[in-house]
Amino acid sequence: MSELSSPQKEPVFAATDVGKVDSVLRELSKIVGESNCTAARHIRYAYSYDLSFVKPKLPDYVVMAETVEQIQGLLRFANKEKIPVVPYTAGTNIGGLTIPERGGILLDLKKMNKIVDIDPEAHVAVIEPGVSHAKLADALYKHKLRFGWPVGPPSASVLACAVSHGIGGLNARYGLNSQEITSMEVVLPTGELVRVGSCAIRHDAWHSCLPLPQLDGLFKGWLGSTGVVTKIGISVHPIPPLLKVFTVSCDNVEDIYSYMLNLSNYEICDDLTAVSWWLAQVPIPYPFKPKPDGAPEWFSFATTTSWTEKEREARTEIWETVFEEEQKKKTSIKRTVYPEEALRGRTQLPSQVVGSTKNYCKQGGAGISWPGTFTPAKVWAPVYNKWREILIGHNLSPSVRMSMYRGVHYGMLRAMIPFNKQNAEETENARRAIVECLKVDLEAGGIPYKPPIDFANEINQRASPGYLDLLRRVKKFLDPNDIMNPGKLGI
Amino acid sequence: MDWKIAELKELEDKIWRCTACGTCKIAYDYGPPPTFGEICPAGTEFGFEGFMASKGKIAFARGILSGELPWDEELLEAIYKCTVCAGCQNQCQLDHKPFIPEIIEAMRRKAVEEGVGPMPLHKNLLQSMKNYNNPYQGPRRVRTDWTRPFKKAGKPIKDLNKEPAPVLFFVGCTGAFNTAARAVPTSTASIFQKLGMDFGILGENEICCGSTAMRVGDSEEFKRVATKNLETFKWLRDERGVKTIISSCAGCYRAIKKDYSLSSEYDKVMEGIEVVHTADYLSRLHKEGKLKFRGELPWKVTYHDPCHTGRHLNKFIIDHEGKELWKGAYLDVDQSECLYEQPRDLLKAIPGIEFLEMKRNRANSFCCGGGGGVMTGFGDWARKNASLRVQEGMDTGAERIVSICPFCHFNLNEGAKRIGSQVQVHDLTELVDQVLVGCDGD
Repeated sequence: MSELSSPQKEPVFAATDVGKVDSVLRELSKIVGESNCTAARHIRYAYSYDLSFVKPKLPDYVVMAETVEQIQGLLRFANKEKIPVVPYTAGTNIGGLTIPERGGILLDLKKMNKIVDIDPEAHVAVIEPGVSHAKLADALYKHKLRFGWPVGPPSASVLACAVSHGIGGLNARYGLNSQEITSMEVVLPTGELVRVGSCAIRHDAWHSCLPLPQLDGLFKGWLGSTGVVTKIGISVHPIPPLLKVFTVSCDNVEDIYSYMLNLSNYEICDDLTAVSWWLAQVPIPYPFKPKPDGAPEWFSFATTTSWTEKEREARTEIWETVFEEEQKKKTSIKRTVYPEEALRGRTQLPSQVVGSTKNYCKQGGAGISWPGTFTPAKVWAPVYNKWREILIGHNLSPSVRMSMYRGVHYGMLRAMIPFNKQNAEETENARRAIVECLKVDLEAGGIPYKPPIDFANEINQRASPGYLDLLRRVKKFLDPNDIMNPGKLGI
Repeated sequence: MDWKIAELKELEDKIWRCTACGTCKIAYDYGPPPTFGEICPAGTEFGFEGFMASKGKIAFARGILSGELPWDEELLEAIYKCTVCAGCQNQCQLDHKPFIPEIIEAMRRKAVEEGVGPMPLHKNLLQSMKNYNNPYQGPRRVRTDWTRPFKKAGKPIKDLNKEPAPVLFFVGCTGAFNTAARAVPTSTASIFQKLGMDFGILGENEICCGSTAMRVGDSEEFKRVATKNLETFKWLRDERGVKTIISSCAGCYRAIKKDYSLSSEYDKVMEGIEVVHTADYLSRLHKEGKLKFRGELPWKVTYHDPCHTGRHLNKFIIDHEGKELWKGAYLDVDQSECLYEQPRDLLKAIPGIEFLEMKRNRANSFCCGGGGGVMTGFGDWARKNASLRVQEGMDTGAERIVSICPFCHFNLNEGAKRIGSQVQVHDLTELVDQVLVGCDGD
């Protein structure tokens, strides 16, 4: 494997001699066709980096599969030859998840982009990995249906976001996008095709993973290290016609948390999110700049949708009650007009503006990464206060977002950190700050999602031995030669 | 005459403003209803990320600048396998957005300067420009072949080399030399005559606008012909009274309006001269009630937006000094010069026409596949891509596809042939010419 900017410590698949490259390419070409595989450096280069601080690394080959059978053939071959395989859809994560740690084959799945089925009666869609949020939004809207669109680029993969426990705009109502998965088809690292959920029992039944044993858990949150997911069923939902967004501001994180906790008890929101002053700026200031005196430190938007005016009025009544209760507590809460463009960016999803990281990276020099976590809501305030100190100490903005998940008092706590990728020192500064933040969160009971390897290492240091052992055994069972996205789990 | 044509290194700051988010890879609009479509011809055909939209091209640019991607044949080919249609640019929201086509062409310029580019077939084209002042290896005298019917009919077209006129009809090489696109200049001239316009051409003395040379990275050849043309335009204004240059070619129009503005002398030379595309010119007359149509064309018609009369004419608003947001911030796009509505208004005004819109239209139009030197360099792929666009046109139920670019006209025709489509491809001027009533009532 070829390293671009730093010495590699791990043993790697070394496709360095021309004869070996040629023979592997010949085999790949038999599986996917000549035009769908390459070892050309410039093509590999375009897959070697992403938005994050993770150091660029080249795959040895890039392969595009068009069918499940091709993926099976590819994995059988790779498993026999012990060549790493990194599944790739759009590469838009900010954790280096598709940067090949040990070279090998980068498996680009963008050509598998069929919407296999939309069942408007059952509210289930079946999609391949290359289906983008934009494509699914277009197709679903014809049935007046929606999904939990994330704030990522419209070109990003619905499937990859969901299997990686990505979040979306309906988290407060329906849960994480991974909780919307109703069935799965997967090619195992050894090439066998398996199905989990209802589609395992009847080929065209994609409605539920339950009540069967939840084998979908073998492929969710594993960062592509246990197989290649080739289809998923997902729950999709009707679009209520009436939108109302409630916006408030507070001077401190404790007050905004109090409001969010209170409001979340009523479960009236599609999305209940708060953003710090720095995240509300366009762009996030880089390097850090102080918040103007008197400006609130937190803003929250609570997105609600209703079917009738009466329902909307009822939601408004609940919200007013919560607001009054918070005022009675003498918190700093105020009604706030959230800037229209910013509000559109939060409610009109998928969004090119938000998805393109416009708000994040403009001053940063193209780099963005995060401590992105699932954290109990009751520790949001102390964790944020420590993050604030750490980030400002590194001359970075504490541009933090908190979102409440469905019916539970935990949620997403993350900081979007822009940095200058052209400068190695600034990139390392951001990485250090982010890892420091992550340690604080882990100590408080939070868990990072879509984690870069630095994060995985921190998780594993704290994990119970039994958990790590089970993780290794499951991985070994499914992937005996450790070919699938090796190194990403830090085990 | 000095030219401000950026080198790749000068664009490095812009290149590093791309986050690799990939928003550029597909056409999308929130709506509601939301609309989605493939936008990148190269990405659609070749699939690998390097071919895909500006994300891939920026990766190449970074690698070339850092030295991590040394020139080789495959890299060179990948850089030229792009129609520079700016479809990706239309999706991007970041600060490098205004410079995306510039970055792609700057890579090509670097390849040419370093002696590795352009592609072999482009070299033939550039040699032809040097030898014949056109990319078609056409002898000068052939340039006026299309005017013979006018002479025969006793309505010769004025030669501006010999006599004055306020309007120069800049014919362009494709209309003059490519017989399949010859209807473009003949219909245009016929319309102008019917309208009783006092116009002329440069005839055998017209030379290439230089657009193709610029698109494939030969800035020296571009500068040579562009400088000559600017000198000619000045002479025409000063000595022949030319106040308006009209072109029916999207490529020439884009070049004269946009590429020529990179010259230090542009404002001085072009003072008092307006550059107009025929579609825009006719649309203005139509709005003023000066076009009269007789008879009808009972056709189902769709319209293909050429990139060069559409998104290539975007004007980007940039915060150069950092007064509003920050230095170099992309603020907004002004589409007022894009010719989106003018051709549609004209088509809809022609009696009998049933106008049908393709899903990908206006700023999100799907390129015909012929631009950026692709038609010359990779003809098979250009035709294949055109056939995708023809199919999209047919899917609307249209029997005819209309455009305002002889390049698109030719390539779409080739695409139709490739899939055995019965769809007919027309230039807008052909349709207008058929129903236009002349000032003498004919």
